[in-house]
Amino acid sequence: MAKKVLLVDDEAGFTTLMKMNLERDGYEVRVENSSPLAVSAAKAFQPDVILLDVVMPEMDGGDVKAKLDADPELTDTPVVMLTALVDSTELSDGAVADSAGSMVLPKPVEMELLHNVLNQVLSEADSE
Amino acid sequence: MSRSSLVESVLDNLPVAVFAKDATDDFRFVLWNQKQEVITGLQAEKAVGRNDYDLFSKESADYFRDVDKAVLKKGKPLEVPDEVVETALGEIHMKTVKIPVVDSETGRLLVVGISEDITERVKAREQLEKMNKDLSKTNQELQDTQMQLIQAEKLESIGRLAAGVAHEVKNPLAMLLLGVDYLSKDLDPEDPNIDEILIQMKDAIHRADRIVRGLVDFSSNRSLTKEETTVTSLVEEVLLLVRHEITKASVKITEDVSEDLPPVYLDTSKFQQVMINLIMNAVHAMAETEKPTLKISAKAMSLEEVEKNQGARTYKVFRKGDLVVVLEIRDNGSGISDANVAKLFDPFFTTKATGVGTGLGLSVVRKIVELHNGEISLNNRKNNQGAIVQIILPTRAHAEVT
Repeated sequence: MAKKVLLVDDEAGFTTLMKMNLERDGYEVRVENSSPLAVSAAKAFQPDVILLDVVMPEMDGGDVKAKLDADPELTDTPVVMLTALVDSTELSDGAVADSAGSMVLPKPVEMELLHNVLNQVLSEADSE
Repeated sequence: MSRSSLVESVLDNLPVAVFAKDATDDFRFVLWNQKQEVITGLQAEKAVGRNDYDLFSKESADYFRDVDKAVLKKGKPLEVPDEVVETALGEIHMKTVKIPVVDSETGRLLVVGISEDITERVKAREQLEKMNKDLSKTNQELQDTQMQLIQAEKLESIGRLAAGVAHEVKNPLAMLLLGVDYLSKDLDPEDPNIDEILIQMKDAIHRADRIVRGLVDFSSNRSLTKEETTVTSLVEEVLLLVRHEITKASVKITEDVSEDLPPVYLDTSKFQQVMINLIMNAVHAMAETEKPTLKISAKAMSLEEVEKNQGARTYKVFRKGDLVVVLEIRDNGSGISDANVAKLFDPFFTTKATGVGTGLGLSVVRKIVELHNGEISLNNRKNNQGAIVQIILPTRAHAEVT
């Protein structure tokens, strides 16, 4: 069965292109461009992993992440943060884990790197 | 009171020195009042009956004699605004008026001198001039500092702008990359150019991303996490990180880093960034060098020793007596052309080909060093041997305060 990815990002162009790439690679993708609706979208869609933008209007990625963590239904769903912010040298070449333990990927991101990260996150989730 | 005792008493109590020489008797002194005694340190009984050559140096006496003769020749009073006279009491300055007088009783030709001791006044004026000079120097320094501040502020606003723009640019770059990634997997076998085009596009996206990231680096990095460490361990860590690049470029490294350097307070990861940047710059500068050699040295010394070694250079951020650590990186590469020396630390200045360097490296490096209250300089070594980077770091505990 195809793995389900919920993509939360306010930039519609980005989500369209990301969805195309992920779908071609066999994922089932749902896009949510409005961050306040991210939690309800996750409840309805039941994704295997959530790709979450950091800088968004209304509610930023950190706030969304906190709501997801607080929800017993979603707290175990792995989240990969995507960000165009680079304020540390650690973000220079690949994925890093943030202080809360979620993976953080810099934008622009190579699909190859994203696949590796998704595979890793999903296999960890499966083994739990 | 007789007339002569009246005159004598007036003469002796005048606040100015009065003397008279007899021009018809080899310019021997015939009058020498008390103030003249005080100024010259010579008593009247020793002076009267003697001339300038008996009392002063030949040089001074020649001068006095010339003036005396000039006065007699002119037949009118002559003012000497500032005479310097060596006396037993040291060098004094005098303002003197000399007057030719014919003694009505004896018919002798006299040169009468009235001198005012202006030594204090001259000294005060000299001091004032010096203070004035100091003041204009301070003023100049103030202006320079102000210029530097303006420059710093300009850079800072560029930085702030850049940080905002970076985020906005990275999103479209992300979209472009996703588009290219998608297209790369669905190539038209009929047209091999498409593959090449997509590779070039991907390269361009990464290049733009690197530039944007460099800009953000330049504008952020404001807060430091300083910890006590030593330059010795810093160099050790950095050499591990760059070992691969160094080996690849066949660069030989010689190290002269004391084991017992005093502790410094550094943001280790930022300083690693500094060192890596400088070392990689040196490696690039030695690309054409036959036997590329990098020498890294670090020593602790007093600021006075540093200044002595450097000649005229002065270090603004340090104080006399400071113990500092001097870290030097020498390469034997192509060096820096004279035209470029002044521009090295400007953001966006680069000598590398377009796309290879963003031009932000050294400006970031300097900013990090300055945030540590340190100083950095980059110069050519003697006889075109290559370049030398010198970083001076404070060791004081209050180096922690930024």
